[in-house]
Amino acid sequence: METLDHKEVINLLLQLASILILARVFAELARKFKQPAVVGEIFAGIILGPTILGNFFPGAHEYLFGAHEMTNIAFDGFVQISVVLLLFIAGLEVELHIVWSQGKKALYIAVASMVLPIIAGFVVAYAFPEFLGVNINDRIVASTFFGLAISITGLAIVARILMDLNLFKTSSGLLIIAGAMIVDVLGWLIFSVILSLSESGSEGLGVWPTIGLTLLFTLVMLTVGKGLINKVLPWINKKLAWPGGLLSLSLALCFLAASFTEFIGIHAIFGAFIIGVALGDSEYLTEKAKEILHQFINNIFAPIFFVSIGLKVNFISGFDPGIVGVVIVVGLLTKYYGAYFGGRLAGIPRKESIVAGIGMSTRGSMDIVLGLIALENGLVTEPLFIGLVILAIIASMSAGPLIGWARNLKV
Amino acid sequence: MDRGQDKWSCIKSIVQIGKIRLFKVISFFNMYQKVALAIAFSPRMEALISETKRLVELFESELILIHIGKKTDELEAKLEEILIKTGLDQIKTKLIWKEGKPVKMINEACKEENADLLVAGALKREGFLTYYMGSVGRKIIRKAPCSVLTLIEPKVGSTVFEKIVLNGTQLEITPHVIKVGIDFSKKINAEQVHILNEIKMYGLQMGTASEDSEEEASQTRRQLVQHELTYVEDILKNVDLGKLRPNIKVTGGRWAVELARFCEKIDADLLVVGDDHKLNFFDRIFPHDLEDLLSTLPCNLLIVKN
Repeated sequence: METLDHKEVINLLLQLASILILARVFAELARKFKQPAVVGEIFAGIILGPTILGNFFPGAHEYLFGAHEMTNIAFDGFVQISVVLLLFIAGLEVELHIVWSQGKKALYIAVASMVLPIIAGFVVAYAFPEFLGVNINDRIVASTFFGLAISITGLAIVARILMDLNLFKTSSGLLIIAGAMIVDVLGWLIFSVILSLSESGSEGLGVWPTIGLTLLFTLVMLTVGKGLINKVLPWINKKLAWPGGLLSLSLALCFLAASFTEFIGIHAIFGAFIIGVALGDSEYLTEKAKEILHQFINNIFAPIFFVSIGLKVNFISGFDPGIVGVVIVVGLLTKYYGAYFGGRLAGIPRKESIVAGIGMSTRGSMDIVLGLIALENGLVTEPLFIGLVILAIIASMSAGPLIGWARNLKV
Repeated sequence: MDRGQDKWSCIKSIVQIGKIRLFKVISFFNMYQKVALAIAFSPRMEALISETKRLVELFESELILIHIGKKTDELEAKLEEILIKTGLDQIKTKLIWKEGKPVKMINEACKEENADLLVAGALKREGFLTYYMGSVGRKIIRKAPCSVLTLIEPKVGSTVFEKIVLNGTQLEITPHVIKVGIDFSKKINAEQVHILNEIKMYGLQMGTASEDSEEEASQTRRQLVQHELTYVEDILKNVDLGKLRPNIKVTGGRWAVELARFCEKIDADLLVVGDDHKLNFFDRIFPHDLEDLLSTLPCNLLIVKN
């Protein structure tokens, strides 16, 4: 087994230390301005990456991120694990009983808030592939991917905003949370199907088997899988060290599910997400355990992932104001109006529908993961990915003030 | 003489009307004016009738006995025998015999008779298949048009409801549930009343609060607990507690699961929860809320409907 040499180990440790330190500094700064930590972490990546450090201190940047190829491979392993864990925690956040209790209203809002951006995103990207920078050879899949990327809601971000505004437990708050949960589940189901259609991701089984397997895997995990989890978890809680036993085994379960979905031709992150949903919905996973898992992943692995975005992309050379403008306008308007009309269709009063529209437009987590996968699979170009990241930053920064404003509207 | 007799009968009529009106007024303030009991000539029938008799006497209600099945002389005689044995006031008891699908017919009878409360027996735990296919007992609970009291172990000597747990989770129906639960507890002289409240998505909320400093996170934690306590206390301000001193407990997790655990932990006699929508097969595949409780009944269950 090949191992890292002395210098490579030092390099890897320095990479991780600099990422975690700068991510923390900028997350704290974001906190000071009442902004989500993810915004600060993305900025930390922009500073550490080719955009700032590479531009102004190329030597330092080269030493940290370009001198040792093996280190970069090892670091990429960390990033992959971070993405899988992010999806696992996203799955844990989905609480099916909240979704069921909100019923049709949440479903209307979620579906409408996805359908409109997916259609609009598809049409725009399909009509202007060269301008937007979607893969012309894989036009249908790339355009759908773009539509899907702008249709995602940032559940954790919107939860935080609603908590800060004291709206979390109100009917509007729970509706948005349930809607965002549905979007997450639907989004990742659609994602795994689209990826199987992609020319570049055609190592899998083909379209129909992938669709069948995706649905079967989801259904089995949420029924039989959850049943098994319900049998094993009480034993783990009672017999093993707490929370050590639970933490290590739940992460092992997450990696197992991720490797299984990767093996059968669906992306690894889908397995992590669904096992997260099954585990999170189990009555035996205590809220305290969820809190610990959240803290562990959100404060260690999430920063690694969000900073890594800035390391991969040059935000100055890749910046295209035209593309960024289109992504922002299409992304914000279609998501807002989709959720708003969904709310009105479900019979929700106008003001509450406006709040739901703004809340559902919050982004800043899974949409970036989706965009990055599209970038790595050659479906979108760097400028379009930058547009998606900027859309996420603007949407997550503006959601809080906009919801506050909407609540005081006299409509 | 005739005039005197007329006068006397007139006074009697007035008194009678007054009595009827008074009974109506008392009945209006009664929690349950009409209590229905679904009977099925099972070994538990006598115990169920005995339990219901006690409730009917406590609440001064009328009793409606519903049997779904063919009316035969033999069954009639058997029922008559049990009614005499249990000492039911047969004047205030109405017998309904219907044929057809049990759940549908029982619900129909409850609607026709404007029953306020349906008493039914149910097994504590059901087999895998029975649960998913839906037993008569569970189906009644899921679809009844009125409040339902489910007794898991009815006794001939009547169950004593000493420890009562009320669902205090923030739901639209909760203020009504707490009020009904307190009135019920007072009426049956319960010794302990616990109101269990649950912090919704505690893990997610505290997970996102981990972006804050330790002091701020602790403050958030305290606020979450305090918010739930205040919610229940505000409801209790508008309820006549009598001598009851309810114990408010805050927990985190899925409310139905937490309620079941708490009831089992304190060995509760009765759990009072609300229900404002009908449950279907899909709810059994992905159990939530009330369906979480129905999979394993932790104790006797009173489901309050609006």
